[in-house]
Amino acid sequence: MESTRLHRGVVAVRSRWADLERDWQSVAVGATTVAAIAIFELQIPW
Amino acid sequence: MSAARFLPGLAALLLGAVLARAVELTVGFNHLLVAIALGFVLANAVGVPDRLEPGINTHKLWLGAGIVLMGASLTLETVLEVGGLVLLVVVGVTTLTILVVELLARNVFGLADQLGSLLAAGSGICGVSAVVAVAGAIRAREEQIAYAAATVLLFDAITIVVYPIVGDLLGLSDVVFGVWAGVSMFSTGPVVAVGFAHSEVAGQWATMAKLSRNALIGAVVIAYASYYARSGSASRPSVRTLWDEFPKFVLGFLALVALASAGVFSSAQQASIENAYNWLFVLAFVGLGTEIQLAELRSTGLTPALVVLLALVVASAVSLVTLSVLFGT
Repeated sequence: MESTRLHRGVVAVRSRWADLERDWQSVAVGATTVAAIAIFELQIPW
Repeated sequence: MSAARFLPGLAALLLGAVLARAVELTVGFNHLLVAIALGFVLANAVGVPDRLEPGINTHKLWLGAGIVLMGASLTLETVLEVGGLVLLVVVGVTTLTILVVELLARNVFGLADQLGSLLAAGSGICGVSAVVAVAGAIRAREEQIAYAAATVLLFDAITIVVYPIVGDLLGLSDVVFGVWAGVSMFSTGPVVAVGFAHSEVAGQWATMAKLSRNALIGAVVIAYASYYARSGSASRPSVRTLWDEFPKFVLGFLALVALASAGVFSSAQQASIENAYNWLFVLAFVGLGTEIQLAELRSTGLTPALVVLLALVVASAVSLVTLSVLFGT
């Protein structure tokens, strides 16, 4: 049951992602990266 | 659509990025230029395998995301310091480039009107994206689009090599080199690459100048569509065209400039964001290198290439002199 719900969630996210223009996908990647760095204090090495 | 089909290409981009960084650390060559060279060698020596293509074709997504993140390392204060003058130079050089290409194409070399307009948009605004956007508005033919796109890509390849050499020979300052590349080179990827290859500050100014130029695409598409609609070869544009053609990642970039200006990020967070966009740029440039394909460049017509070369020389010289007067070398 749990896995079905998870699968549906993944399908929904993938479908939303595919509908986005590439520019908005870039904004989403940027926003997700900033959120991960800010919330989890993620350290990205260079 | 399976996400798994992107994995091989993404792994190739990541491998190229790590290799480019390793070459920089060991030999000292700039990692962005090495990344482009790796992609170029892959595409032209062995060809990009089919199973790598979906992942490698995501490189523009990573370039856009990198530009969005770059906003966090800038503040409104920095932008406003010389931003007004830069904006004037952007509008001036863009207008000059479009007019020179149109004039040469129609009156000197006798190219078809549509091909001249595609070349003008590609050299004046944002490379192949502008060619495609204007092509839709003026009902250009398929072969004209291919010709114009190949010409723009040819000069992308040339300017990636020539601009850093000229910048070093002339000892240009970071701001002058960055804005010069941003206002006179063609596509966004090469502009960002040569800017950051010169220096961090040059890369930021190159990107900002280029984004301002890209933001003009909607207005240029409307102007062309209106012009061709009068002659009956295209439909009338709507105001919606302005929004449709606007590069949306600029909004993400501006949002991060605003957040950084408000002091939302700690210095550790800013360092991580900076490292993240550096990685995204290297990923993107490995993919960009694969787009420079010698076989396609050879299909460029001599006359379109000559028109664009002359316009590039004029725009490049005028902008360099103007920027040197405004900001000093």
